Amino acid sequence: MQFAQQTSQKKRTRILLNLSSMIDIVFLLLLYFLVTMVITTPEDRLSSGLQARSEEASGQRSDFQPQVVEVAMIEGAAGYRMGSRIFRDAASLRTALDELQKDSGLFIQVGGGPLTGFVVAAFQAGHDAGFKQVTYVVPKQADGPGG
Amino acid sequence: MNFQRNQPRDRTLPVDLTPMIDVVMLLIVFFLTTAQFARMTRAAVDLPIERGEGGQAVEEPGMLVNLMKDGQIIIDDKLIDLVVLKRIVTEEIRQSHNNQASMMKVLLRADRDLPSERLNQIVWTLQQMGVGQIRLATEVPR
Repeated sequence: MQFAQQTSQKKRTRILLNLSSMIDIVFLLLLYFLVTMVITTPEDRLSSGLQARSEEASGQRSDFQPQVVEVAMIEGAAGYRMGSRIFRDAASLRTALDELQKDSGLFIQVGGGPLTGFVVAAFQAGHDAGFKQVTYVVPKQADGPGG
Repeated sequence: MNFQRNQPRDRTLPVDLTPMIDVVMLLIVFFLTTAQFARMTRAAVDLPIERGEGGQAVEEPGMLVNLMKDGQIIIDDKLIDLVVLKRIVTEEIRQSHNNQASMMKVLLRADRDLPSERLNQIVWTLQQMGVGQIRLATEVPR
């Protein structure tokens, strides 16, 4: 009879954890995050006041004249006009806006011709330059359903 | 007498993962469903690539209007025209803002290649209805 060996040997207990379910879940989660990462793109926004184009909007009669930027087709190409100065890209507009007084706000008059991306770049330039109030000045439109 | 060595017993830890799997599956279904809703309200629009104002993500978006490249207006996955847009905005002002149009917030998700004439037309319509402020959606560059 061999009792000695039985008492000296440690009683080993193996704990087995079935991980296959967890792996399934992790793969599903991984798949989900990969799919949604492609679908959603980070978005932000640029706030703007609204004003119909009028003499007040252009600041002709105001003591505190707001800065006015016109977005339009200038000499056949999209551009920004501020007074007599013409800018062809948002970076140069931003540089010019940096030098201006910011208290009276910025009015952006949007004419026909340029694409929306070009218009929005002007709003971004105004915001980046530090204007608290940027106003979208919209020209009068013909009434009608307009589809 | 049988004095054979005791076999070490394999003891499996009794952790039941079934409820956790159930919960995770429910979460996945929930997120997939909400993602589907998000896609419904946010049409596939190539937004202008700008940084935006930053830090506005938690703000309530208000009414969301998608403007496609070809000038089509889409709200809640429905293609509408200016007449219907006016009706929806009027209803929204009446229901959510106690007829105070100036309190109305509209988020315009306009395609970057949309001609500004059409953008002006939409903005003019909103301005004539008394909407005091719009927000132009941008796609944050990566």
